[in-house]
Amino acid sequence: MDFAPVLHGFGVVLEPTNLLYCLIGVVIGMLIGVLPGLGPAATIAILLPVTFGIEPVTAVIMLAGIFYGAQYGGTITSVLLRLPGEASSVVTVFDGHAMARQGRAGTALGIAAIGSFVGGTVSIIALTLVAPLVAGFALDFGPPEYTALALLGILLVATISSGGRLKAVIAACVGLLLATVGQDGFTGAERFTFDNLSLADGLDFVPIAMGLFGLGEILYNLEERHRAAQAPVAVANVWPSRADLRQSSGAIGRGSLVGFVLGILPGGGATLSSLAAYALEKRRAKHPERFGKGAVEGVAAPETANNAAATSSFIPLLTLGIPANATMAVIFGALLIQGVTPGPQLVEQDPDLFWGVVNSMYIGNILLLIMSIPLVGLFVKILKVRATILAPVTVLITLIGVYTVRNSVFDIGLVIVFGALGYLMKKLGFDPGPLVLAFVLGSLLEESLRRSLLIFDGDATGFFTRPISGTLFVAFLLVALLPPLRTALRRRRPAAVPSETATQDKELV
Amino acid sequence: MTIKRVRRWATAGAGFALALSLAACGGNVGGGGSDDAKFPGKSPITILVGQDPGGSTDLIARALADKVSNDLGVPVTVENKPGANGGLAAKELAGKKADGHTLMVYNGSLAYITPLAVAAGQAPDMADYDIVTGISQDDYVMVTAAKSGFKTVDDLAKAGRPITFGTTGVGTGSQLSQELLFRQANIPAKAVPFKGGSPTLTAVLGGQVDVGSVQLGEAIEQVKAGKLTPIVTFAEKRPTYLPDTPTAVEAGHDVPVQQSRAIFAPKGTPKEVIDALRASFQKAFQADAYKKFNEDNLLTPNEVDGEELRKQWTANLDKYRAVVQKYNIQLGEAK
Repeated sequence: MDFAPVLHGFGVVLEPTNLLYCLIGVVIGMLIGVLPGLGPAATIAILLPVTFGIEPVTAVIMLAGIFYGAQYGGTITSVLLRLPGEASSVVTVFDGHAMARQGRAGTALGIAAIGSFVGGTVSIIALTLVAPLVAGFALDFGPPEYTALALLGILLVATISSGGRLKAVIAACVGLLLATVGQDGFTGAERFTFDNLSLADGLDFVPIAMGLFGLGEILYNLEERHRAAQAPVAVANVWPSRADLRQSSGAIGRGSLVGFVLGILPGGGATLSSLAAYALEKRRAKHPERFGKGAVEGVAAPETANNAAATSSFIPLLTLGIPANATMAVIFGALLIQGVTPGPQLVEQDPDLFWGVVNSMYIGNILLLIMSIPLVGLFVKILKVRATILAPVTVLITLIGVYTVRNSVFDIGLVIVFGALGYLMKKLGFDPGPLVLAFVLGSLLEESLRRSLLIFDGDATGFFTRPISGTLFVAFLLVALLPPLRTALRRRRPAAVPSETATQDKELV
Repeated sequence: MTIKRVRRWATAGAGFALALSLAACGGNVGGGGSDDAKFPGKSPITILVGQDPGGSTDLIARALADKVSNDLGVPVTVENKPGANGGLAAKELAGKKADGHTLMVYNGSLAYITPLAVAAGQAPDMADYDIVTGISQDDYVMVTAAKSGFKTVDDLAKAGRPITFGTTGVGTGSQLSQELLFRQANIPAKAVPFKGGSPTLTAVLGGQVDVGSVQLGEAIEQVKAGKLTPIVTFAEKRPTYLPDTPTAVEAGHDVPVQQSRAIFAPKGTPKEVIDALRASFQKAFQADAYKKFNEDNLLTPNEVDGEELRKQWTANLDKYRAVVQKYNIQLGEAK
């Protein structure tokens, strides 16, 4: 492997502007990590227009900082207030808050920060080594391979998403339908445009993401106006003892691995990997009953894993142009606004961008480690800002922001429509993530499929005779057929199924 | 590298554009009548671009906007309204006041290729606009991956199987040029549309399609690096940037297809306003920095006046309509 571009990437990061935006990104990330409700996908969506005037590298460095910074921030409220700031910190509540009540809040935060740092760093190193390998045979990725990847991605998102499989599938289908709006790229025919020129090129991704994630979340949060203000637990002795470190080192190692692998998978990401890492630790533990009562591994594992996953989910985006989760889909949108198309050519054609972003994560993680402990008190205070101030300001920024992207009043209308939809979806228990991801992958799926069939002359067996697309389709079939098969097997021998798997499943959902 | 640097300026400029236009609106309040005295008065000028920021149309608009602004002494801002191959911006232009303060960089393909690909009435009509000046032309080149072994059109004919060709989309010069070439050379071939030049090139490089036609500036680096083999250009005569590649005409096929760009104004713009604008653009064309910009981006100047440009483009439309009918080519759903 050629390390010159990697080193050059550090040069890019160390430019003062980029350092500054990296810092801004991680601080915003921690901030919104602390605020329950407003997740990284929403924040990045709202800030998309801000990135318009800055250079692509700088923009993505900042947005990436928001993403992994949020994983740190989410921990703080989980531990101190029993209030997970992020979905990916939900499991941290169990043992983190238990530790806080035992007077070990500092230890919990310290372990979480160290675990996050290790998980993030391990993942960046793996990303540095793996991404160019993937990009190396990326030119072999033609339309059939993209068809398979898009299918696999949509399927995985629908099956692993939080909030029920059926609802996720419904949301994904709506996303796929929305992706069909606009001019058919193969015949020039207008689809669902109602002779409206604003719809001729289809719905734009940015207003959809800003509406569903941004406006929808704000509206939804307004419902919980009277959140009981809880006195945060005092924080003392931040640095974990050597015994704590020894006890959690295994969990941190395993968490890094679990997080890295699950982060790459389409539909995976921070939330899933934190759940999986927690479950894994509990299963391995000699005394699983300690979990939920302040076990330090119960904090270390999920916090390590969610950070590792946040980093590794950049691999499919930057090498293949396929976003692995909703947040990556928004960053994908950010790159497109900047005129950068993420894909196989990116590492080679834009090494500055690629390595600049990857290497900024080292710096960002160090910044987070330094900041996370001393700033805890400050971040907790932010929770006291009233929603009556925060919400209107955010709405205003969102609406002005979307206008500046394309100078289009139509897009403001779209944000409002999708904001209302996002609100209703959350209220009815639908996760908007699968919708957004299916919308992004939908046009890729349709175009790649039709392109493939043109190339194959209509012969669908071509998908299986190409090595990469063949493998991906087998994986697709496995993922699609496994759950029904398992249910069938379980039904055949109901007595033999140990109750352990049943409880395990319940925890994961 | 140049394109990248310009693009950065371009995106930064887009941010300023909003701020500027807001500021300008403020300054304009109550001063409406006095502007009529002599163009351009004090009101700013907006140039619409129907493509995304950073694309070649956008870069051209920004390269010119600065210089015209200096000459006329009012701010000239570029506003991107991407959509419908430029049709969205064209529709907006048609609805603006014909006072010379709203202009648009109009792509030739929208005037003479899109109408052949979409249903009647869906593409804007050139006759609904006044033309300030022509700008420049961009040549298409048909390339193949170096490892494909193809070097000439004859090689493609001898392949003994249908050729797949990548296009940058339906109703583009990329599609028309190749359809015409393969039809005239009697080579069985099938169009595979991609979204824009970059994905088309990726597919050609990866051997997903046999050949593809893109704008010269997009392919030149890979051609120089030896990864792409240029087969023919669709220019009228060999572009200076690619002197060793035959044109399709030289190879015996009558298919000159070019992208061309011009400055359009709403219909009914007074003649003296058009003349003042044209004079200002002429000065911009003469600037060394702009000439260098053209060279860097492999653009051939076509700085003719509005009347001449309308003749060129109308001739193109008639010619393309005739050949498309003659060879029974289906560009899109249009009948």
